[in-house]
Amino acid sequence: MINFSDLTFIFRFLPVFIIFFYLTPAKFRNLTLLLGSLMFYAVGDLKMFPVLLGAIIVNFLFARALHRGGSKVLLGFAIALDALMLVEFKLLGQFVDNSLLPVGVSFFTFKMISFQADNYRGKIKDEPGFVDVAAYFCMFPQIVSGPIMRFEDYLKNPFLEASVISRQPADADEDSSKTESDSGDVIDLDKEYDSAPEKKSHFENLLMYLEKIEDGLRFFILGLGMKVLLADHLAMLWKDIGTIGYESISTPLAWLGAVTYSLELYMDFWGYSLMAAGVGIMLGFPFIVNFDQPYSSRNVSEFYRRWHASLGSWFKDYIYIPMGGSRKGEARTVFNLLVVWLITGFWHGVTLNFILWGMLIFVIIVCERFVVSKLTGFLEAVIGRINVLVLIPLTWVVFAISDNVMLADYFKRLFPFFGEGIAVNQGDFMKNVQIYGIILAAGLLLLIPGLYSYFEKHRKHPVFTVLLLALFWACVYSLSNAAGNPFMYFKF
Amino acid sequence: MKLFKTCPILIFIAAIAIALSVTSYALEDTVYSDYTYDYQPDKAPHFIMVLKGLTDGVYPWSQVSALDDMGVLADGSGDTGAEADLGEDTANDSDNSETVEKVIAGENETLTRVSGVEEPADSISGNSVSGNSISGNSISGNDAEEVYEYTPVDEDYFCDALFIGDSRTVGLSEYCAPLDERATFYAKVSLTIYGAMDKPFVKTDAGEISVAKALEKKQFGKIYIMLGLNEMGTGTIETFTEEYANVIERIRELQPDAMIFIQGIMHVTEKKSKQDKYFNNKNINERNEALSQLADNKTIFYMDMNEAVDDENGNLLSELSFDDIHLKASSYERWYEFLLNHGIVKE
Repeated sequence: MINFSDLTFIFRFLPVFIIFFYLTPAKFRNLTLLLGSLMFYAVGDLKMFPVLLGAIIVNFLFARALHRGGSKVLLGFAIALDALMLVEFKLLGQFVDNSLLPVGVSFFTFKMISFQADNYRGKIKDEPGFVDVAAYFCMFPQIVSGPIMRFEDYLKNPFLEASVISRQPADADEDSSKTESDSGDVIDLDKEYDSAPEKKSHFENLLMYLEKIEDGLRFFILGLGMKVLLADHLAMLWKDIGTIGYESISTPLAWLGAVTYSLELYMDFWGYSLMAAGVGIMLGFPFIVNFDQPYSSRNVSEFYRRWHASLGSWFKDYIYIPMGGSRKGEARTVFNLLVVWLITGFWHGVTLNFILWGMLIFVIIVCERFVVSKLTGFLEAVIGRINVLVLIPLTWVVFAISDNVMLADYFKRLFPFFGEGIAVNQGDFMKNVQIYGIILAAGLLLLIPGLYSYFEKHRKHPVFTVLLLALFWACVYSLSNAAGNPFMYFKF
Repeated sequence: MKLFKTCPILIFIAAIAIALSVTSYALEDTVYSDYTYDYQPDKAPHFIMVLKGLTDGVYPWSQVSALDDMGVLADGSGDTGAEADLGEDTANDSDNSETVEKVIAGENETLTRVSGVEEPADSISGNSVSGNSISGNSISGNDAEEVYEYTPVDEDYFCDALFIGDSRTVGLSEYCAPLDERATFYAKVSLTIYGAMDKPFVKTDAGEISVAKALEKKQFGKIYIMLGLNEMGTGTIETFTEEYANVIERIRELQPDAMIFIQGIMHVTEKKSKQDKYFNNKNINERNEALSQLADNKTIFYMDMNEAVDDENGNLLSELSFDDIHLKASSYERWYEFLLNHGIVKE
């Protein structure tokens, strides 16, 4: 159930929760959100549930002491505690037992750290109540894999009456409005409902809620389609390539594999993010942009502003800029980038390949910044695109394969200068293109940036309504056949 | 109307979900009775039965009697729905099952006779595979004039050989060039013993035909079968072995001169075996034991290639497999070597 692309979530938890949420008086909706989210988490990971509870309470207590300033040492201590918790569970999960890694720990810890910093810096004007802070930390649309929403965006929900002493959303101070436009990770989909909802009649209220739910549903369905119909099937091809054994794939298949894994990761995470954003909208939260057409970027630096944007902006705001960013000279800039990418690598996983992956990105970004940018415009443009479209997929291969020997084998097949593979069947490329061609083509098509923005703009058009409805039932059909059927994805 | 304009998708989803649920609950004892066994109420909504039925060609208006017959013939095999022509020839179906029973009865007689003959001789190991110590590979027929020993053969031995199997045999054809050049392969991913004879997947100039049809057209000297992994989660050892015996009988009729080699199901790795309630080596060994009983050591032989790929505990060596189930491309060599060392040469 802890998965959005799970029939129990779609047909049971989500509808029941939304009905309860809107039946609750606005004053207590944060409580409904908190209780629903705790239930969601407990069903998914009961064993580590106390960890989440403990982290919430400890962070709330620190936040009370640190609201709008206070001891810097205490802030450092609070953040260090959160970071230590994350590191400890990552290590436990990797080296002791996988079940010791609490679900979503990477994401809720980052939310907690950002909350501590924002709270200390005075970005959160009124002292928030426990229920709101707790609900923000563990709200179910984001707890498993983000997006890492900021507390200020939590407060933007017009359907929640946050339990602060006095809220003045109208005259947001200079600071917060600046960061908002800076990070640019929030889109106001509909401005029409900014006015206080409670003054309308019941039927008007109902229509307003339903319109939000419907709109969230549109994004949810699109994301579901990407996840179920594309990512899950691309994953099968990637697994098939592993089954052959990396030492035995032909060079064309090795490259197809790099494309496949890159697409799988993109469709999986973009789809998930759309689903999370969709559920958020259903509950009145703003749309958090997590993926903004990364593959249309002109260079790798831009790619990582558009890829998993809520993580990128987190690193920027809470690590890179506090360390001085790019204002303290070139050497310091390089060092700051190194720190950011080392931590990014480690955050994704404890094995060596993630560190290597982070280092590769670091090297590419530094090269872009200090070498490529000095070239002529045309050359810079070409190299930037090559970095995004060729080097990025190769870095994903490093990201994907945690066994160093296998990783080396894979690169030997990508670049077959070091001898032949073992028992290679040259027909493997065509065979898999025939099987997965349509899925691959659909995934590649979605890389065209205009397609999604067209959807976003015209998503309320009746044609899209029909298409989304068909897409939804296609996904449910696919999920039904996989449900309780170990043979769906594992046919031998 | 305003409501409908506000949220058409939501309303349609709700309406369709309700309609499906009503259908599913109303027909759960009739049309969808086959699906209720697997249904776990805590894992998915009730209406997935209707959607699962759709995949198998079972519609709400499908006739119930035809479905019951299907259930008898193949216990829960995922493929059956697609094969059975529902609602058309119920009479034919019951005819078929009678034939099946007769065939199986006949097979049982043969088996009893064979084992009766063999019992006194302790040295005979052809039909016994016990746990992890594989002893099935040296075969000696009991009749004095027919003693067959597995002997090494050369590559051309496989020129008149046919391999029938699932994805593992597909892998053998794709990654064992010397064998692929000589032998014929009728193999398909996710093939089961239930679909082995009648599923049209053998590519010919005239389109795809079933193995049964293909065997009418061409005679082979040796027929190797390795099937059974996909069936692990369905049916029982008995239903599986019955169907296997039935397939062998049909092949025997179509190919009177061919030697038939039943290959024991290849093991999975220890990791997989430990954590999977269906696909584990204990279940595989039980089924292999039952399969070994189908051999008569005259024209039908049993062989177990696991000795070529197992570790000391009788699990597939983990370094030979990426997904814990299939051999890596570079490991098929071991299977081929095993086959080269286990030929039967009749004078």
